[in-house]
Amino acid sequence: MKRSLLWKLCLVVGVGAVLLLYLVSQLSTRAQEQMSYLSDEHQQQLSAYAQSAQQLYVDNDLEQLAQLMRDIQQREDSWAAVVKSDLQSIAGGELSNKFYQSYGIGRGIQWKLHSWLVKPVMEIDIAERNVHFLIQLPDRMRPSIFQYMGFTHLLLHLVLPLILLTAISFMLYLHINSPLRQLQIATRQFSEGRFDVRVRGLMGKRTDELAELASTFDQMAARISDLITNQRQLISDLSHELRTPLTRLDIAVATLKHGHGPSSEAAITRVERESEEIRKLVEDTLTLAWLENERPSLTQEDLDLVDLLDVVVEDARFEFPDRRIESDLPDNAPVSHSNHRALGQALENIIRNAMRYTPPGKVVSVLLETELNSYQIHIADQGPGVPEQHLEKIFQPFYRLDSARSGDSSGFGLGLALAQRQITAIGGEVVAYNRQAGGLLMSISLPRNT
Amino acid sequence: MKKSKLLIVEDDPVLNDQLGALLRDAGFEVDQCTDGNKGLELGSSQPYQLILLDVMLPGIDGFSLLRMLRKTCQTPVIMITAKGAEEERIKGLSQGADDYVSKPFNTTELLLRIEALLRRTQPESAPAVDSLLSLDGLEIDRLQQSAFAHKQLLDMTPIEFKLIWVLALQQGELLSKPYLYQLVLNRAYSSYDRSLDMHLSRVRRKLNSAGWDGSRLQTVHGKGYILA
Repeated sequence: MKRSLLWKLCLVVGVGAVLLLYLVSQLSTRAQEQMSYLSDEHQQQLSAYAQSAQQLYVDNDLEQLAQLMRDIQQREDSWAAVVKSDLQSIAGGELSNKFYQSYGIGRGIQWKLHSWLVKPVMEIDIAERNVHFLIQLPDRMRPSIFQYMGFTHLLLHLVLPLILLTAISFMLYLHINSPLRQLQIATRQFSEGRFDVRVRGLMGKRTDELAELASTFDQMAARISDLITNQRQLISDLSHELRTPLTRLDIAVATLKHGHGPSSEAAITRVERESEEIRKLVEDTLTLAWLENERPSLTQEDLDLVDLLDVVVEDARFEFPDRRIESDLPDNAPVSHSNHRALGQALENIIRNAMRYTPPGKVVSVLLETELNSYQIHIADQGPGVPEQHLEKIFQPFYRLDSARSGDSSGFGLGLALAQRQITAIGGEVVAYNRQAGGLLMSISLPRNT
Repeated sequence: MKKSKLLIVEDDPVLNDQLGALLRDAGFEVDQCTDGNKGLELGSSQPYQLILLDVMLPGIDGFSLLRMLRKTCQTPVIMITAKGAEEERIKGLSQGADDYVSKPFNTTELLLRIEALLRRTQPESAPAVDSLLSLDGLEIDRLQQSAFAHKQLLDMTPIEFKLIWVLALQQGELLSKPYLYQLVLNRAYSSYDRSLDMHLSRVRRKLNSAGWDGSRLQTVHGKGYILA
């Protein structure tokens, strides 16, 4: 599974943090350098002092020179002097010129000044190389590093990262939160009963974990709205379907109250039959709700299809004595990991349906074919068939054709709906076709699971 | 013969009374109560032959009652469940119920189940039967667990053998489904359970192929089976 959100986070946080560290260290070094030198103006000022001192020294006007030094000291509130150094070798090798050039008492004015230097003394050579103008760096000339380093440090190491990290966090937050927010809105709408709300479409081109979450939400929403819609439909259909037998029951009871003789005999039969129908409706509805909601997998049993078909066909023959039912079955058709109750009930419902719509005297045929990995059961009737566009809908609970198939007024009821779900629960499939010769053909495909 | 004594634990007073009347009519002696606590008290203190137990009960629910009852006694119990859910039935059986009916149930079926359970749990002093039965060319040997049709050995599973034996033993008598389930398959019959029909259908095929008329094993729809 790809984890784009992980990579995004790694990229933004990891790369961002490294870049930030690099930037801070770069800026910090640069700023420190920038701020460590004497400004040009101050350098010129010091050079000017040195020039004046040089002039006086060359003119050998030592009195004026002393006066100059006093002036400078006073003006800059600092210490200044012209000194002479005497660098000579006392023993050992001679000093090369290099030593005289590089020898200094104070710091050059172009040198970098470190912040830890307290009252540094600056030096400018005048006249010969052993005469130096020295001045303790006046306070006003101290490079900005002495004043601003603390502040700059704070700015670079605290404020800048804080601002940048806050900005990154905020962007990440927006990136993560916007889909979450949409999910939240959708969830709320869903809980308020808007079952058609979906979020994946709102995520645009995202393909990360949050988009996956949105897809999962959509699947859940679709499943739940299906369940709820089916459930509502089932309840409304059931109460509708119950009305008819209940009315007939009421009438029969009323007849029993007043009448005597043959009419009460018929009424009692009627009461029995209606109560049976109501029982069947309730039972089938519960089974259907169970199959729909739990989507159980009923695969713990081994059975022989031939035995089961024999039993169901025999029952149908008994139930519809005026129709013929012919079965063409092999000797054996073992199936593993199935469920005979589910399958039996499904076959019973399909065969009963075929018998009901087949006119008296006509034939329903049941054929079992063995294939490599499956069995095919074909149940063909000689009824009126079903308009092509309704072929799939007959598996919906209580589905009715506009002009109901002849024979019975109760439509398809729950029989085929149950049958389809039961066959699904044991891993099979059922499809309805119209036969060329007329009538409906139900083809059931069941895995052999051997 | 001494009347069997039954206990009904059902919280709906109307259904409770209806069941009471039905069972008394059928010749049983009946005690009734409408809540779990009373049911447990009666069930564990009196020697009932059978208890009809509803699942949804005030006080202690049916399953808990059954669990507590089973610690002290093995009185046969038929659970009455309201929900059609398979799960509840299985739960009831695994906790020691001997059979169950789910509302709405048919009174005839309930009576058949009660009788079947009573016959299993209180075997009447069985008349000494031969271990050999012979019927128009069909010979069944219980000790050898073998059956012959016109001298031809029938290849049968133990259940198929037990089925043909029981039917042949009580030839001409209608045997109810609940009874045969208890006796042959050692379990309770439930609606849509076709195991017995399937076994019977297989036995029929085997008899036919051996030249013995299998259609004499008749299904009496909605009632049971009979060997004519």
